[in-house]
Amino acid sequence: MTAHAGPTGIRNLEGHADFDVTWPWAREEPLRAGSTAVLRVKDEAPSLPWVLPPLLRSMDHVVVVDNGSTDGTPEVVAETAERAGLAHRLTKASYPFAVARAGAEHRAVHELSVHSLSYFYNWCFSLVRTRYSFKWDGDMVLTVEGETSLGDLAWQVGDAQTIIRVPRHGLYLDSTQPQRGWLDLGLRNAEEWGFPIGPDFLFTKAFEWEVRTTPKPVRSIGLPHGLCVELKYLDGDEFAHWTDPASFATSYRNKRKRREWAVYQALQAGEVPEGVHEITAPDGVHVVDHVTRTWLPQAPRPLQVGTVVTSDDQRA
Amino acid sequence: MSDPSAVDPSDYPRKVLFVAGAGRSGTSTMAGLMKILGLHVPQPEVTPDETNPKGFAEPQWVVDHHTRLLREAVVQVSDSRPEAWFETGRVSTREPERIATAEWLESHFTADGGHAELVVKDPRLSWFLSLWRVAAVRTGATPVFVTMLREPAEVVGSKQTYYANKLGSAHLAASWLNMLLHTERGTRETVAGPEQGSGRVFVRYADLLDDWTRTTMDVGERLGLQHVLHANSEQIRDGHRFVDPSLRRMSQSLADLGLPPRLHELVGETWEQLNALAEPGGDTEQAHTHLDELRQAYSDLYAEAEAVSRSSVVAAEHRVRRERKPGGGPAGGGAPGPAAQGGPGRRPEAQFAADKVPHSVRALVPPKVRTGLRKLVGKQR
Repeated sequence: MTAHAGPTGIRNLEGHADFDVTWPWAREEPLRAGSTAVLRVKDEAPSLPWVLPPLLRSMDHVVVVDNGSTDGTPEVVAETAERAGLAHRLTKASYPFAVARAGAEHRAVHELSVHSLSYFYNWCFSLVRTRYSFKWDGDMVLTVEGETSLGDLAWQVGDAQTIIRVPRHGLYLDSTQPQRGWLDLGLRNAEEWGFPIGPDFLFTKAFEWEVRTTPKPVRSIGLPHGLCVELKYLDGDEFAHWTDPASFATSYRNKRKRREWAVYQALQAGEVPEGVHEITAPDGVHVVDHVTRTWLPQAPRPLQVGTVVTSDDQRA
Repeated sequence: MSDPSAVDPSDYPRKVLFVAGAGRSGTSTMAGLMKILGLHVPQPEVTPDETNPKGFAEPQWVVDHHTRLLREAVVQVSDSRPEAWFETGRVSTREPERIATAEWLESHFTADGGHAELVVKDPRLSWFLSLWRVAAVRTGATPVFVTMLREPAEVVGSKQTYYANKLGSAHLAASWLNMLLHTERGTRETVAGPEQGSGRVFVRYADLLDDWTRTTMDVGERLGLQHVLHANSEQIRDGHRFVDPSLRRMSQSLADLGLPPRLHELVGETWEQLNALAEPGGDTEQAHTHLDELRQAYSDLYAEAEAVSRSSVVAAEHRVRRERKPGGGPAGGGAPGPAAQGGPGRRPEAQFAADKVPHSVRALVPPKVRTGLRKLVGKQR
């Protein structure tokens, strides 16, 4: 447990009592069986119609916390869940404080500040009412196999004190060409997304971003590659949540970001880097649907994924 | 309107029917009927024996595959631990197993000029539904599920009779609960879209024996099984020759089992809820919520029982340690291993040298402790 964690929760330094954190297990109502995905989103309106339906189908519950979106994200969240017929599995919330960007800005903020990434995460996960949780991003889309796999693990995990790693692959999009996309299979990236809800698994501060605490040793299982893509918009600002993209070069920890930066720059320049597949969907089909429902599920296995390895993947 | 008989059966959309449920619940009868009506049971099959003279309709490869995976997961066919589902789920995430399962499925879709509709059945199947669903996705097939329901008292009685199971009715009833409550959870629809959508049906064994034509046609319609929809007269005659209402040989009530009160109550309520799923329009969100509560109640009961019987586990650990000491004699005795309890010795089970510890106690040993004990006795698994 982080040094700042109290037995029933944490209070923020700024004194915003309505945003103090009460741990889910310290509440009167016992935690329910099952899994909840928690998304912290800011201006993810274009991606969420792809992200939410498979996630709502595979999880017992989904919590979406908006952090100052200006593109109608909360409305898109509500409409998408409603359209999927799964609004009863959705909890919406809003976190009104500016959160420090990854990198130098994050490092300068105390972890008990409402502006801290780790405090923000702890607050978001305090809304979970199930015994297991998945951290999820507003641009991560499950494939059909991914939805199936996560849907089963979501209930199978029960009370197991284990971490689940979910590999993901960048899918770069050009908004002017909805049938065309670039899938980066040059990077092996399997980060820890699934964690039990309990005092051993809290968010605390790491150097560039947050990290979740774990007991030692801890059990960890990894899903195969090809189950999840992360949408990246070539005409968007994909690195806005970083203080300065130059800081990617500082350590081994940022390897994934460096790869994304390199692929992004190359595609902007009209070049397709090694390990990146240019994919064109059939007429009338969006490339995101094509990749998640057809291309990746039917790609030969084991999926040929490159050798650029992130630190989390090595944990296996 | 187009003539459905003009469609070549090999051109039907790919579909796999998974027949799930506890052993001795009529899964062989259902799978056998589907085979008679034209669905393909991947060959070779397990050969019939005295416990099931009309055959099992079980692909031998599936039986062997599941037996090995259960052993790796350290889970028994009749395992009453709720946590066992994560152990088999974990094994099912392994890429080599997903590849092997999908390749096997693909080979049977394309065998003998093509079989578009397959039926896969094995008493161990429920433990690996997630693996098979992935295999179906990878082969472009739609997975559909039929879960057979039989009075728990009859299942327990049948297992005790046919498998010479001396584990006791409480353990068998708990295993039934664990199996059925989680099979129900594992077959709920998770993937949307008509081309990927799955479907499921619950069928009472008694209904199948009473009027197999009505029951089977209903399954065919609800799951879109083309072979059933277009079965010919000779196949239907064969169905009548195959189904024998006297197959339901067990007849005892839940009260006859003498279960502990809370277990008795949970079994009774679960049976009632599962029965509701077998009614037309009974598979509802409300029913799922009730079954979720029962699953949680069973998990809580099991956790309490584990805590209460901790001394038995510690004693079992000490006994194994003592037996491994020089002069203590080797652990062994040839007791059938964990995966051996689902069948009457017709399977290639591993003979765990394991122990003389009663199964009811072994089942309570947490996986970590069990792994430690195996290391202690020099066993890899």
